[in-house]
Amino acid sequence: MLRSLLVLTLILISLAARSQEKVTLNGYVKDADNGEELIGVTVYIPQLKAGTVTNDYGFYALTVPKGTYTVQYSYVGYKIQDVTIELQQNVSRNINLPVEAELMQEVVIEEKPLNENVVAVQMSKNTININQVRKLPALFGEIDIIKNIQMLPGVVSAGEGSSAFFVRGGSADQNLILIDEAPVYDPSHLFGLFSVFNADVIKDSEIYKGGIPARFGGRLSSILDVRTKDGNNKHFEGSGGIGSMAARLAVEGPIVKDKASYIVSARRSYVDLFLKAANEDNLVHFYDVNAKINWKHNNSNRFFLAFYTGRDVFSFGNDFGFAWGNMTGTFRWNHLFNEKLFLNTSVIASNFDYKLELKDAINGFEWVSNLQELSVKNDLSYALGTRNELSFGYHLTGRRFSPGEISPTGSSSFFAPQKQQHMYALDHAFYISDLQRVTDRITLDYGVRLSIFQSVGKGDVYLYEDPQDNIKRERTDTLHYDAWETIKSYVNLEPRVGIRYMLKEGQSLKLSYNRMVQNTHLMSAGTVPVPFNTWNPSSYYLRPQVADQIAGGYFRNFMDNQIEFSAEVFYKDIKDVTDFADNAQLFFNKDLSTEYRQGKSWSYGSEWMVSKTRGKLTGMLSYTWSKVMRKIPGVNRGEAFPANHDRRNAINLQMAYDHNDKWTFGATFNYSTGRPFTLSSGKYEYGSYNPDVIVERNSYRLPDFHRLDLSATLNPRKNANRKWKGQWVFSVYNAYNRQNPFTIYTRTKKDDDGNIIGDGTEKEARMIYLFPFLPSVTYNFKF
Amino acid sequence: MRYFIITIFAALTLMGCDEPIQLDIDQTPEHIVIEGLVTDIPGRQSVKITRSVGFYDKGKTPRITDALVTVKDDLGEVVTFVHNPRNHADSAGIYIPQSKFTGKVGRTYTLTVDADGQRYEATDLLASVIVMDSLKYQIDEDQEEDPEDEGKIYELLMFAKEPQNQLNWYLFKFYRNDSLTYFNDTDIYYTDDEFLAENISGAESPVYYGKNDVAKVEVYSLSRVGYVFYNDLSTLLNNDGGGMFGPLPSSPRTNLSNGALGFFQVSSVNTSTIKIE
Repeated sequence: MLRSLLVLTLILISLAARSQEKVTLNGYVKDADNGEELIGVTVYIPQLKAGTVTNDYGFYALTVPKGTYTVQYSYVGYKIQDVTIELQQNVSRNINLPVEAELMQEVVIEEKPLNENVVAVQMSKNTININQVRKLPALFGEIDIIKNIQMLPGVVSAGEGSSAFFVRGGSADQNLILIDEAPVYDPSHLFGLFSVFNADVIKDSEIYKGGIPARFGGRLSSILDVRTKDGNNKHFEGSGGIGSMAARLAVEGPIVKDKASYIVSARRSYVDLFLKAANEDNLVHFYDVNAKINWKHNNSNRFFLAFYTGRDVFSFGNDFGFAWGNMTGTFRWNHLFNEKLFLNTSVIASNFDYKLELKDAINGFEWVSNLQELSVKNDLSYALGTRNELSFGYHLTGRRFSPGEISPTGSSSFFAPQKQQHMYALDHAFYISDLQRVTDRITLDYGVRLSIFQSVGKGDVYLYEDPQDNIKRERTDTLHYDAWETIKSYVNLEPRVGIRYMLKEGQSLKLSYNRMVQNTHLMSAGTVPVPFNTWNPSSYYLRPQVADQIAGGYFRNFMDNQIEFSAEVFYKDIKDVTDFADNAQLFFNKDLSTEYRQGKSWSYGSEWMVSKTRGKLTGMLSYTWSKVMRKIPGVNRGEAFPANHDRRNAINLQMAYDHNDKWTFGATFNYSTGRPFTLSSGKYEYGSYNPDVIVERNSYRLPDFHRLDLSATLNPRKNANRKWKGQWVFSVYNAYNRQNPFTIYTRTKKDDDGNIIGDGTEKEARMIYLFPFLPSVTYNFKF
Repeated sequence: MRYFIITIFAALTLMGCDEPIQLDIDQTPEHIVIEGLVTDIPGRQSVKITRSVGFYDKGKTPRITDALVTVKDDLGEVVTFVHNPRNHADSAGIYIPQSKFTGKVGRTYTLTVDADGQRYEATDLLASVIVMDSLKYQIDEDQEEDPEDEGKIYELLMFAKEPQNQLNWYLFKFYRNDSLTYFNDTDIYYTDDEFLAENISGAESPVYYGKNDVAKVEVYSLSRVGYVFYNDLSTLLNNDGGGMFGPLPSSPRTNLSNGALGFFQVSSVNTSTIKIE
């Protein structure tokens, strides 16, 4: 591995030596109307057949031989700009792209250049276009990008009403979910009915399922990179809406015109307000607040400060309640050292916590748990000649895990105060990668990430007679570690390679390989994580999870890039995937390490997708076949079993039709194989109980899942002449009222009132369905 | 916890529904089920041996009446258990000691069952149990407002000193007029003492009583494996179905060898009684 690093360095040096006599063109590309930087704009010089795309900060740099060129800036939804630039020395040129005249008043920002699908080296990536999502039906009318992600090829959910998603056979904790670069540890509201992402502030969101760039790491299966809007730096504007669940309001505007802007947005569910009025004392609500300040000091220095907080609060009567939430902050500095070297420095903080509280004089207690993370990231990109774009950087992350602390709250509580020890971890990552246009046909993106993970003190590690005996848990000794003392280090080299080969115009083949390493592990034995699950770092007993994925694909665009087609196959192999013993006790267990079981997971599949990105009718149709198995020593008697999220077939259809400037119609259809579950193969008597006999894991499947949702969006014509623009969204969830199974459980046979039928020895299986036919109305506005 | 989350979840969605379905279940071969009990109370030693049946089968499970059952203590004393010596119809499958035998605190007991040509063994320690200082009762406000069971509005208050210098595990059984009672039919009342402070003053019972009821509470000591067994059994009985939020259902861990289901429980027992007046 070190050798390939060396070779890489040598190549880079030799390339650098060749790149004399050249000049660099760079700058930012922005939306002419609101000043938002645009991500992924194609910058292309036809004479040279050379080009690039703007990075995550809207910045581009292109090194070319001296000369005068016509430079083309193109982006779907915007007018193509041809700019003639004389390049005798290095030139900075910022471009304002005007929005293409649209039928809709709404600004449509298509988040990709016209033929990125084909020409980019990156494969296995989907962009979630928030404006397209707005045209589609949503549960309770609440637009949710995670529900949309669950309908992408290669992604499955565990069932409806959940924010967990599973990418190419990975488990739910193997997705790195970022909001403005800060990780969100639990993206769910109301146990997953909604996600934490408020659609009003989302500018761009992308999910990487494979061929993951070297600048990302820390999770095995996917990166969901959500970026929020910077705020309009030209003029003040606002938007918001009222749905059947929550109300939203966002305002944005310039602080200093063209230089500094802000955006503040809030969302809150309001059902509890009615319940309170009706004297109901079981209450629940959630909220999200996003805020961002953005200051362009000059072309070389830009600053961003972004903040997010969201929380769910449940209370039952006056005495029991629980809450959870995320809080993140990101400070970002974009600096241009010179025409070629671009730096992004970010300081990122993230906190996730939950709390359970029982108010009672005798058995009152409070249970708190949290996870805090602070990181510094330095990411640099360097344009090296016309053919190479180097990216390299260093990320340092510190984490503190507080799995749980219980304190008695009542005056005479019989609970003794208890605290699980904190765990600390330091995570260093160095990476370098090069996007190299080898020939007109071949482009390579190759790099490597070095991750050095340290589990550090202060802390105690228990040694056991048998570290996997979770019954006796006989401790033989305790190792004490001081603050910052290394308990265990794990060093991993993660190669990342992608190659794109252009066939004829509009067609390409791509291949990628990535190794990913994960050192934070979710302590959840269920299919869907709940907010009360905690995270543990790799440490004395828990090894890093390592995934190798190889993927290949064929990409083709039709009809002047209006229709995109892709077919991909993948194989993913995970070593030391974290699982848990049968009957594992994961809550407040001081001997949690005795429950760890790590083993193998492997998955493979093929994904087919057709999408239409422009025109009156837009949408996507995809089919995925995949299989995911696990084999974990000490689980299911050591035999291989299908993973909880092994859903072999999935078909997804999303369609939006812009009928006229007044009406837009949307539809989504989803079919997937039922998820596997473990079922009784008999029953027996023990005392007065009739437990099931459980033999094999996941040997049954729930019935197939399928559902059709419809929506219609009305933009009244009077909007055209008004500052206040209203919009009505009517949607129907589960249009043909399919009873989709959520779960199946067993119990003693009872009637509907809960009275036992017969002599109490008979059992029955019952299925829970969640959502029947469910209409909703949402009113949105802009001003 | 898991079932609780499912319940909240179903309530959140307001309109979810829950109905019986017929499953096509592959039946596995029968398993032997052993329910052994040795206590420090005379007459409370028994071993029940049965077989598992199909999920949809009706009636009591088959009894095994021809097993050889012995219990040996760590001093080497062996007691033979004999099948239903008084031939009670409802005691089929139950074995009791042939000679006078009572468990003692601090002793370790080993159960051996020979049945169907197989040998099943289990060993457990008879630990001491918490002593209930007193039992009181009071009206439970929630039950008074909306009783689960008409007239059953009194809850018991338990007072005890929990020894803090050792690890203990307990199983509770509540009787209403001598009949074993649960709030829900899948409830098991058990605890470890990890979170318990020394002074337990007025822990509330999960079972409610009416006027003139005689309330009896039995506290059983458990070993660690006993706690694990009841915890697993409770998780299995209250599973949300195939691990949506909780773990996948699995067989409770037990001290019995050779794949037998059930458990060999060795306990000291503390009993308190109070009449609701």
